[in-house]
Amino acid sequence: MLDVYSWEPNANSGKPLFCLHEKGVPFTYHYIDMDAHEHHAPKFLAINPDGTIPAIVHDGFTMTESTPAMEYIDEAFTGPPLRPASPFYRWKMRVLLRYMDNVVAPSLAMIASNSHVAPGFIGHDPAELRKKLDRIPLPERRATWEKLMFQATPPREIEESQRRVSDAIVRFNAILAKHEWLAGDSFSLADIGVFACVYALPLSLENEVNDKATPNLMRWQRACHARPGLQAALAMGQGFITQRAAEVRERLGLAEAGHA
Amino acid sequence: MRLHYAPGSPHSAAVRIALAEKGIEAELHKLDLARHEQHSRQYLAVSRHGMVPVIEDDRHTLFESFFILEYLDELQPDPPLGGNDPRQRYLARKWGKYVETHIAPHLAIARWAALQGKVSDGAVPALANLLPARCELWLRAKRGFDHEQLSVSTRALLTAADRLAADLADGEWVAGDRFTLGDIAVYPHLVQFSALGLAVPKAVEQWLGRVAERSSVHAIRADLFPLAVMGPEPGRWG
Repeated sequence: MLDVYSWEPNANSGKPLFCLHEKGVPFTYHYIDMDAHEHHAPKFLAINPDGTIPAIVHDGFTMTESTPAMEYIDEAFTGPPLRPASPFYRWKMRVLLRYMDNVVAPSLAMIASNSHVAPGFIGHDPAELRKKLDRIPLPERRATWEKLMFQATPPREIEESQRRVSDAIVRFNAILAKHEWLAGDSFSLADIGVFACVYALPLSLENEVNDKATPNLMRWQRACHARPGLQAALAMGQGFITQRAAEVRERLGLAEAGHA
Repeated sequence: MRLHYAPGSPHSAAVRIALAEKGIEAELHKLDLARHEQHSRQYLAVSRHGMVPVIEDDRHTLFESFFILEYLDELQPDPPLGGNDPRQRYLARKWGKYVETHIAPHLAIARWAALQGKVSDGAVPALANLLPARCELWLRAKRGFDHEQLSVSTRALLTAADRLAADLADGEWVAGDRFTLGDIAVYPHLVQFSALGLAVPKAVEQWLGRVAERSSVHAIRADLFPLAVMGPEPGRWG
């Protein structure tokens, strides 16, 4: 029995979906509507008391850390290996995933949620918002949502996140000048972890991610978006993300899976 | 293999424990963090992050201590320290990550406050040679951490100890019935809690005792003291 409780095929929520589709492992997908704050509701908190998504439950074993869970998926199931064979390239893969988790993904999340999520709270009853905040178990998550609900993210923090994202784009492009994939010559969890956060950058940050400025990163974007496994995971969304991915494929000049 | 390390750095201690468990001999290069040797131009040429530990072999320079531990375990699989099965390995890695996100950054802040840390004037110009985020973290430390940050950090550390106790309810070690990289990664941090006035649950206290008995840990016990230095950057967005 493999159950994945997750939101859209995006960032941490997307990591198990991308991995399982790449390995060809069947699973039951339980959609958690983050916009409706279902991840802070009692039904989901019974599965993960921290109220973070995704949660992956395999034969009664619950995992709530998405990056270690990706390695678990690669170890516990058959299918194409998603980690390099050599210890050094595995180290590279893990360091890159850590850089995503600690530096790049939070920066992208800060930028995106301040432009897309925070405005939606304007004009709401502050007492109602406080009640929503009180339902969030982890203090660090509560602090983040408080900043969004009350438009309190300092602008210099958002600028710092933009600097970090720009820096990451240059770095990824440089790695991909030397290697076909982000952790060497084979597709790996590093590509999945990065792709889950940057799949839309050729549209959302087209001034920085384009064929002229970052040709290697664009080659990699095309190679990732063309993979049937990643496409199948992106198709699992219920709206915006899936639509967005189709727009990116069109921008990249790619055919849809099965129509090549 | 060459190890750049520093006494008083929990991450360095973890790598030294793993090397001893594996019986791997490494040439040691000791840095003095109190004198900001990790911020010297010479060392920044080895590690642009200005952090210890780093291992160098013929061809590679490796940083990020938990991934150094995994590298050592994969390079020389005997005795195995990664965990018996995918579940244990997940738990070991979960703790390897938790140390970096929820323990080490807050422990550095708590240590800084408890030891009344100061950046010596002579060391300040060297901070400008660091990567922007590390430079900013040290400048924050120089200004001092406010009461709110200290209470956030203290709460995070006490929560970490409670979570560790909860996982130890399932076995003697953090990942279950076998000593793993998870124990090695967590121990050098948790062992500093009592010196900082942070009480730990009974199960954690007993586990600290079990780990301390290992000869690999006993051999480096003099390096486990708290020192006022910055750790990894605290999370910026949840």
